[in-house]
Amino acid sequence: MTATAQIDKLQPEAITIEERSPFQVVMRRFVRHRLAMISMGVMLVVFLITILAPYIAPYGVTELNVNDYFVPFGTVDQETGRTHYLGTDNIGRDIFSRLVYAGRISLTVAIFSVIISEIVGIFVGAISGFYGGWVDSVLMRFVEFMLSIPTLPLLLIISSMLIRNENLIPIPEPVLAFVGKIMLINPRDARNAVIIIIVLAGFGWLSAAQLMRGTVLSLRDQTFVEAARSLGASNIWIILKHMIPNAMAPIIVDASLGLAGFIVAEAALAFLGFGIQDPVPTWGNMLAATQTYMFDKPWLPLIPGIPIFICSLAFNYIGDGLRDALDPRLKL
Amino acid sequence: MTAYLLRRVLQSFLVIFISAVATYVMLSFAPGGPMAGLRQIQQTGRFQITEEDIARIRASFELDLTLPVRFSRWLIGVPRGPLVIGGKEYFGDMVVGCRKPIEVEVMNSRGVNVVKVTGCKETVYLKDIVGRRTSRGILLGDFGLSWRLLRDRPVSDLIISRLPKTLQLIGLSTFFSLLFGIPLGIYSAVKQYSRFDYTFTTLAFMGSAMPSFFFGLLFILLFSILPKNAGWMYIPAGLSESVRGYTIPLIGQVVAGSLKDRIMHLILPVAVLTILQIAGWSRFIRASLLDVLRQDYVRTARAKGLSQRVVILKHALRNALIPFVTIVVFTIPGLFAGALITESIFAWPGMGRLYILALGDYDYPVAMAIFFILAVLTVMATLIRDIVYTMVDPRIRLT
Repeated sequence: MTATAQIDKLQPEAITIEERSPFQVVMRRFVRHRLAMISMGVMLVVFLITILAPYIAPYGVTELNVNDYFVPFGTVDQETGRTHYLGTDNIGRDIFSRLVYAGRISLTVAIFSVIISEIVGIFVGAISGFYGGWVDSVLMRFVEFMLSIPTLPLLLIISSMLIRNENLIPIPEPVLAFVGKIMLINPRDARNAVIIIIVLAGFGWLSAAQLMRGTVLSLRDQTFVEAARSLGASNIWIILKHMIPNAMAPIIVDASLGLAGFIVAEAALAFLGFGIQDPVPTWGNMLAATQTYMFDKPWLPLIPGIPIFICSLAFNYIGDGLRDALDPRLKL
Repeated sequence: MTAYLLRRVLQSFLVIFISAVATYVMLSFAPGGPMAGLRQIQQTGRFQITEEDIARIRASFELDLTLPVRFSRWLIGVPRGPLVIGGKEYFGDMVVGCRKPIEVEVMNSRGVNVVKVTGCKETVYLKDIVGRRTSRGILLGDFGLSWRLLRDRPVSDLIISRLPKTLQLIGLSTFFSLLFGIPLGIYSAVKQYSRFDYTFTTLAFMGSAMPSFFFGLLFILLFSILPKNAGWMYIPAGLSESVRGYTIPLIGQVVAGSLKDRIMHLILPVAVLTILQIAGWSRFIRASLLDVLRQDYVRTARAKGLSQRVVILKHALRNALIPFVTIVVFTIPGLFAGALITESIFAWPGMGRLYILALGDYDYPVAMAIFFILAVLTVMATLIRDIVYTMVDPRIRLT
């Protein structure tokens, strides 16, 4: 009896663990994070509601119901038979409809800000880490400079300047039309939202750039990069095909935590009066508007406040779950 | 070490300078300001404002000077006039601005009328600005004059009147968050996976996801409005002291402006800031203590037979607090900014609220002064953080 024969016999029994792709491994770990799964469910519902906004909201965003000011929950309009599920506000606009449309606007602002800031961050970080030298030090000094000035006061200055002086940065009409179409508002109002997206993304890319640079630095001298280069791959190819996919784990986590941050930041700007302005509803400016009436109608602040909190919490849990699933050692 | 310190200090000055330039340029592009209303008055009948009046008002706000000249006067208080060396004047004929610009209304691409400056009727030379009122420069602590909130009064008056209120808020909330946050974090780490730990980490996680503006409003609702409407004991919200006396069930008569009144008004904003800070800080302490408790030297300490108390407080906590110290130092300027939202919810008359008011009311000298102070504070805190880091942890070397 030879040794090889024995191994041949043993082999079928030895393979007991079914092979899984990295994606399956990550998914299994993510699914086990119960709170993250619940949050995914909640966010799916919120997204569905906001996508179907025109079919769910009984009223328009700026539709006024004269003399129906602050009607109680569930009041039915006598003429049209539509219901004010959450009552109306001080000038007779349906709160439920505005809340649904506001969700669409707030979430769009957050998602666009995250997409732009992650893309900018990925490229700045990749270039900085890959090329090193003076490019790296100029870019990273700039990032450090941006991080070393107080963010919220600067955000307020920039947005107060841009919002009052809307023509300062030219935004192409097609962009306005596109954003307007997604948010279901007219392109003229969309300018305000685009400005807020630019302002938020202008601060959001910093952390992504630092993360990306760190990963690229750690990958730059590894053998697979050397192998790719010896096969004749260009720098761009190496960055796009080898660096970026490998750095996706921290970037994805940063993006989901970023969504939570941007939702809160947009609401904070609107709340302080330097964000998206009133006829266009967002959760932040709806919350700010309730402040005047909260002494008589204490439930009013809860209506736009709870969605902000829920979305912020859910994206935080999802980010937490993703971090545990993608790389348990990762610390963000 | 000295070389490092020197470089860091120079860097800090550069950061402060750049952020001052950036905000100044940005706010000078912002519309509004003292001239905005005048143009409208001019057009409506009785009070005809002549061109000369406008030029005079422009000069009094220094708006007739070009941006670099104005900025330099704002930052360091020069130029005040021609350079005098040995009784002789130099650069007297340098153009530093325009007293009466030629303005034309043009329609832009979207059909909106915009005022465009096409030329200059009367230029301002350096020799013209001799004897003109100016600040000594923001770098020397003179923040100039307020435009609107306290018209023609020094900005520093406004800021000094508001600063104690903000310091009160921040000092108290930092004190309480350290007082409660550190023990909570330690307890939670020591009793990891206990019921207390689960509850606590969940609450802290929620706290760090909670937007401060919503939390503030919730507190006003829960502790002020609802109990007041129900006729129970409530805590007053809004302002730092009330205008007239009031009566609270169980507490009784409160005289406006008395110590009792002021304490009552402090409770809610301090509580909001404290709870949100505890949520962040204690989570950090828990994580960093757990990290340390896994180390070999802690096992050694346990193996020596030291009591749990000595192991945790003497061996583990000291090292766990190292990163925490730096976090605390670094959050202090952040607190000024963070207090911004809390102050505006509670109408607390502090610096944060002043900042919002100034930005909303086009009082740009005030806004810029506060921003400048915040920038200096942040940069200083970064510097102190890095220095403290090396002092508490000799393993870290600065290069």
